[in-house]
Amino acid sequence: MSVIKLSGRIDSNNSSRIEAGILEQLALTDEPGTKAVELDAGELEYISSAGLRVLLRIRKTHPDMVIRNVSTEVYDILEMTGFTEMIKVEKAYRVVSIKGCEEIGRGANGTIYRIDEDNVVKVYNNADALEDIQHEREVAKLALILGIPTAISYDVVRVGDSYGSVFELLNARSFSKILSTEPEKMDWCVKEYVGLLKKIHGTVVPAGKLPDMKETALSWAGFLRDYLPQEAGAKLVRLVEEIPHDNHMIHGDYHTKNVELQNDEVLLIDMDTLSVGHPVFELAFMFNSFIGYSEFDHEIIKKFQGFDSETGATFWRKSLAAYLGTDCQTKIREVEDKARILGYTRMIRRAIRKNGLSTESGRAEIEFWKRELLELLEKTDTLLFSFNELDIEAVAENLAEVQSFVDGILESIGCPPKARMNIDVAVEEIFINIASYAYAPEKGKATVRVEVSEDPVTVTITFVDHGVPYDPLAKKDPDIGLPADERVIGGLGVFMTKKMVDDMSYLYDTGRNILTLRKKL
Amino acid sequence: MLNIVRKMEGDKAGFALEGRLDSVTSPELEAELRASLDGVRDLTLDCEKLEYISSAGLRVLLSAQKVMNVQGKMTVRHVSQAIMEIFEVTGFSNILTIE
Repeated sequence: MSVIKLSGRIDSNNSSRIEAGILEQLALTDEPGTKAVELDAGELEYISSAGLRVLLRIRKTHPDMVIRNVSTEVYDILEMTGFTEMIKVEKAYRVVSIKGCEEIGRGANGTIYRIDEDNVVKVYNNADALEDIQHEREVAKLALILGIPTAISYDVVRVGDSYGSVFELLNARSFSKILSTEPEKMDWCVKEYVGLLKKIHGTVVPAGKLPDMKETALSWAGFLRDYLPQEAGAKLVRLVEEIPHDNHMIHGDYHTKNVELQNDEVLLIDMDTLSVGHPVFELAFMFNSFIGYSEFDHEIIKKFQGFDSETGATFWRKSLAAYLGTDCQTKIREVEDKARILGYTRMIRRAIRKNGLSTESGRAEIEFWKRELLELLEKTDTLLFSFNELDIEAVAENLAEVQSFVDGILESIGCPPKARMNIDVAVEEIFINIASYAYAPEKGKATVRVEVSEDPVTVTITFVDHGVPYDPLAKKDPDIGLPADERVIGGLGVFMTKKMVDDMSYLYDTGRNILTLRKKL
Repeated sequence: MLNIVRKMEGDKAGFALEGRLDSVTSPELEAELRASLDGVRDLTLDCEKLEYISSAGLRVLLSAQKVMNVQGKMTVRHVSQAIMEIFEVTGFSNILTIE
């Protein structure tokens, strides 16, 4: 391919002479049938429309024309006149040194350094990263337009043999740093971190703009299938296949090094893994960041996040509780277990691909994760979860769990304390009834679903069990006018429930007791 | 969670209840009462810090009331509005002596 140097100014005074010179050189260097030419604009200071017409004429015979090393000034001209849309134009890259610069973040594709007070540079691992950089810039722009606070790189630079993208990031500190140096801010961090997470997951992405995480997860499951017992492998693939397509945004690497506090603003960075998908994928990566990667070797997290494994585990559990809006441990564990399935799948695949099976420590780690994964697969039937439905063993000891699950939802809608106590009483009476009679002397499960509707705000709580048919409404109300000595002890539960809510209905349907309580707030 | 603070003075017994009186915690109060009511003629239940009561709690109160109707008297004190409402809908406001 011919390489032609452009220099100085090209305008109507010299354009025909320069064109002649270029054509002469092409005649000498072109090989037969060649269509490509590279114009090195490193020394080009200015180009007028007469010069641009020269470029267009050369392009006619050399449609694969590239202009490289373009200064910012010339690039602006090319961009303004629409040339960057027609011809491949590459800017000249500023050279940046990271010698002695503080490392402030590290992700899957690169490392972020602070280069001065206002700016950071993300240096990509991949030497040929221009496409990655372009991708990250595009998705960051998309996220910003969709309302996610993030930083967009404004310049691409050379850092040694790698490329870097430069961002403005003033006085910013990552949440990892805050958690490491100011542990008393844990709860504040959880609140902000989860607030941003909910915002991301609440963002609908136009079709085709971001990769679908389900496709990626399917490829992991397919890869792992060969390393698992047949039945477990098939189940893993099925569980991922059954996750429905979801057009909401997920970040894909949402740990505390990628969330920055800049002045009073919480910013999301490291956008290259931005995708769409079900939130369980995100939770899986979060589990890995805070627990999974360092579950076998607790020291790992310190190197990566700067805080210890205990802090990581506490932050994860608190964040998951806040995300699910509940203190109900049964619910939190249920969702954590689903996240762990995908988390282990990802880690085992990664370890195997990094030749983990060829070293003893690698094998030990893979075996450890695999045991956990197989155990989880055994007891899991779906990776989907809901915020308003709880499956729980119907035993009296679980009463506090059920009430805390219902209370979490009531709190989120600002339910007044008195109504909350009334609902709590009704929930207790029904749940204890199921626990005492539905399956006795065996044990079984109950499902509790809480729905909220508007106008007026009404809470509907549905209990489902598979026990013996029992219609509590068939029971006669006690006589509450009797004096103490004549009153029977017990038998008040169903009566109280009726009094605590506005409506109570019962249905027996295909082996299920379905009891519904409704209360207007 | 239920905290019970017991104060015995001659034939007087005082129980301060704190937290939730529900199906899981009521047996604790029931056991405490059963162990303490022998010879007691004046029983006081202080509900100032009681946040919650369900039918299981009412059941224990009714049993205690029945015992105290024979032995002496029982008084329930400092009842919050929310709990008072539960006493009212269940007729307990007529059975108990509430101060």
